[in-house]
Amino acid sequence: MRITILLILIASVAAAQPPVAPSPDPAGERAGENVHNYNIVDSFETGYRFSTVGGSDAQYRSSVNYGNGIRLLGSSLIVTSRDGHGSLFDQITLSTQGLGNDPYESASLRVEKYRTYRYDMSWRQNDYFNPGLVTGGGNGQHLLDTQNRMQDHNLTLFPQSNLKFFLGYSGSTQSGPSYSSIQQFDVTGNIFPLFSNVHRVWREYRLGNEFQFFGIRVNWMHGWQDFKDDTGAVLATSGVPGAVPLPPESPVNLTRFRASDPNHGTNPYWRAAIFAQRKLFNVNGRFTYSGGRRAFVVDESAQGVASSLTRVQNVVTLGDAQRPVATGNLNVNFTPTSKLTIANSTSVYNIRTLGDSLFTQFDSATQATTVLFYNYLGIRTVANDTNLNYQVSPLVGFMASYHFSDRLISTQDQFTFAGAVSSSPAEQSNQLHSGQIGVRITPWKPLSVLLSAEIGTDSHPFTPVADADYHALTARVQYRAKAFRLLATANSNYNANSVSLTSYGSQSRTYSVSGSWTPRSQFTVDAGFNRAHTYSIGGIAYFTDAQLIQGQSSIYLSNINSIYAGVRYEIAKRIDLYAAYTRVQDLGDGRDSAAAGIGNSPAVFQAVQTFPVAFQSPMARLSVKINEKLRWNAGYQYYGYRADFTSLLGYRANTGYTSLSFSF
Amino acid sequence: MSLAVRTSMLLVIFCTGVFVANAQDKPANHFVENTVCRTCHPIIWSNFYKNPHFKSVASGKEPPESTGCQGCHGPGLLHAQNGGGAETIRAFTTLPAEQVLDACLRCHSQTLSRANIRSSQHTLNGMACTSCHSIHGSQSVRALLRKPQTTLCEGCHTDVRAQFAMPFKHRVEEGVISCTDCHNPHGTFAPTWRMASRPHQVDQAAPNEEPCLKCHADKRGPFIFEHLGVRVDGCETCHAPHGSTNSRLLRRPVVFTLCLECHNGAGNFGRQGTGIPSQTPKHNMADPRYQNCTACHVRIHGSNADSSFLR
Repeated sequence: MRITILLILIASVAAAQPPVAPSPDPAGERAGENVHNYNIVDSFETGYRFSTVGGSDAQYRSSVNYGNGIRLLGSSLIVTSRDGHGSLFDQITLSTQGLGNDPYESASLRVEKYRTYRYDMSWRQNDYFNPGLVTGGGNGQHLLDTQNRMQDHNLTLFPQSNLKFFLGYSGSTQSGPSYSSIQQFDVTGNIFPLFSNVHRVWREYRLGNEFQFFGIRVNWMHGWQDFKDDTGAVLATSGVPGAVPLPPESPVNLTRFRASDPNHGTNPYWRAAIFAQRKLFNVNGRFTYSGGRRAFVVDESAQGVASSLTRVQNVVTLGDAQRPVATGNLNVNFTPTSKLTIANSTSVYNIRTLGDSLFTQFDSATQATTVLFYNYLGIRTVANDTNLNYQVSPLVGFMASYHFSDRLISTQDQFTFAGAVSSSPAEQSNQLHSGQIGVRITPWKPLSVLLSAEIGTDSHPFTPVADADYHALTARVQYRAKAFRLLATANSNYNANSVSLTSYGSQSRTYSVSGSWTPRSQFTVDAGFNRAHTYSIGGIAYFTDAQLIQGQSSIYLSNINSIYAGVRYEIAKRIDLYAAYTRVQDLGDGRDSAAAGIGNSPAVFQAVQTFPVAFQSPMARLSVKINEKLRWNAGYQYYGYRADFTSLLGYRANTGYTSLSFSF
Repeated sequence: MSLAVRTSMLLVIFCTGVFVANAQDKPANHFVENTVCRTCHPIIWSNFYKNPHFKSVASGKEPPESTGCQGCHGPGLLHAQNGGGAETIRAFTTLPAEQVLDACLRCHSQTLSRANIRSSQHTLNGMACTSCHSIHGSQSVRALLRKPQTTLCEGCHTDVRAQFAMPFKHRVEEGVISCTDCHNPHGTFAPTWRMASRPHQVDQAAPNEEPCLKCHADKRGPFIFEHLGVRVDGCETCHAPHGSTNSRLLRRPVVFTLCLECHNGAGNFGRQGTGIPSQTPKHNMADPRYQNCTACHVRIHGSNADSSFLR
């Protein structure tokens, strides 16, 4: 029986696995060592990563991106005061991953002295490479080879008292080369590649306080966000992957192009929250206001030839845009007994986007001037949720909720400025009613069953693909014993959005089974299977040769199967073996070529309604304990990617590492 | 008497009945010195200095109901007198979820991140604090999680786990971001996008925006020309945030299908209810050049210079 279950689990399973390195087993004793008044638990792993790639290197860099070199694969340090009365700190926790040129690097630190201060830091770096959007099976535009760095710092003073102070800083940068594109000089013109050096910086400073006042806790925070984008663009003459070369008889050619688009945004915000807790109920509220603003200059100059005429076009626009956002939330939770909770929350959101700018675009060749006015957008939403949660007995519990929201969208294409005539404002309001019910059944302590259903109807969705008349069903069965866990879930989401031109409908169904079995501490099996089915149909309208085509549908069909299985085995408390396999495969609609289509879509759509791909990654890892403070690790992971509709994107990669884990 | 008034009265009567039915006399119990616990639980006692809850013990100023073993497990006199037993003390392994929640929220309720825990999907689905947190058996010092965060979340959300295995995904498995960068497992305020209803438990960035903008700050704007679908219904209109088999986490493998499914001019939709603008006759979808929408409409997330997002 056990073997049968094991085989089922290995044959089934669901999903993702972390990369083969770093090794999850640290060196040294978890209990650590006592030094003076502190206990120290530490470990770090350093080694060499390698990779070889065949096929599309760009696609590999986009989805995996591990390279060669020496790395500090992972480290962990925990220092704890044994009596809680350290001189400068009572606890330090530090962990890092991937330092030393991995594409995914991170570090987090906490330093704390009880009742006095707590400092949290996180730092992350991500090398982001994208070969461009896939279009019709080939490489596309907007290639990015950038590096994102993010950091957060939070300092809390007197964290256990009724009077706390908060200080914080967050920042992120994105920098690196990119390719983009520009079309000149009108809608019939050609598309030209642009080279950019991306440079974006975002920073946030925070200051806040929390205090208690007549039994009511008040928390407020003021933040200042600052964003700068200094990315410019110049004409790229060659080297753009996937760029279609212009034919010699091309009616439009671009000989010189330069654009700079610096913009600087600020987003100061206030946030205040109150909490009041009584025996039978508690109330909390939150109120925020942010005054987003972004000033910009677009300075673009293009020189070229169009229809045998020399064209020079300069575009200069400048101004600013503002987005004030005011929100309020009030939650009331009523708990007459520990078995019953009634929660009601009311939310009010008011978001406006406006500006004080008028733009002029001047074409020096045609002497034409185009005047642009900013668009006004206002979104006001009022929502109310009521939730009831009642545990009838240890065997059965019920939940029910009702949601109502009312949204008003106001827009104005041309707003009064400098004497210009305003266009008529347009307003669209809609209401959503939705309800959810569910039952929790625990017929036996290790076994739990959860069934829930949600239904909603929106009177006036904003887009044809938004939720309109939808319902969702969820079922979950879990068996959890000491050494064995099995979970099965089924979800379905159906949405119908009918309109006059045509109709949009989508169906998605997800089924998954996963389980783990740990008969002994030395042996673990973990496995799962997931199937995600998506089918959608939407009405489309487009032009071919100036003829409007209507009455056709865009059909999308995706059937994604994911399996995962992992086995860990420890030999003689010294050797740790781990092997795992992951495979994701979109079967599409069963076609292996675009020739045999589905539905009444034209050929251009037939080729893209489905996109069968397979992505697999087996791995194995070995970790050997050399002594109490040292382990040797080695691992191998294979990545294979294959897209059935194109051979341009497939790749095979062999990656691996060898490392030593130390504890000192 | 209106239906609403009658329903309210019935609800009050029902709640009162439930409350009275549950009010029972409990046998007398008292707090004891916390050192009493050490006699039978020496390992937990000797390692408790590594636990974040130890700070209340270290202060030495907290009343017994707010510190040490009995701060969570309740008065220990009967438990000590009876030589142990789960029925004589607040043993979390035997408590139903709602009582676990009550016990933890006695201290942990008044923070912004837990303001919505009573109405969170986790609570409504019968999850308790101890479903994810382990006070005495945690491998993670900071949040006392039972397992590393990603493993913990994916243990139940197996469909999401499958999405993170796809070729295009946010780097959660690689450790660059974590589930709580975007989600608040303790419940969230209603989202400021879509209809303030779905998605559930997606946290908001500080100024009430989609969490996507915490990292993708260049998409934040405000822009003079907003792509209204983005601002009104959110990034998920076009992107699948966890993972996708499509480049750039798009919901369709090819961009123009994504665009045309909204930009079809169908009535009722859009800002004036007259349809989201469709193509102009100058576009020719038979020409591959026009099939790459974002090759021309480069500022698709919003533009400061062009209402069609051309620059």
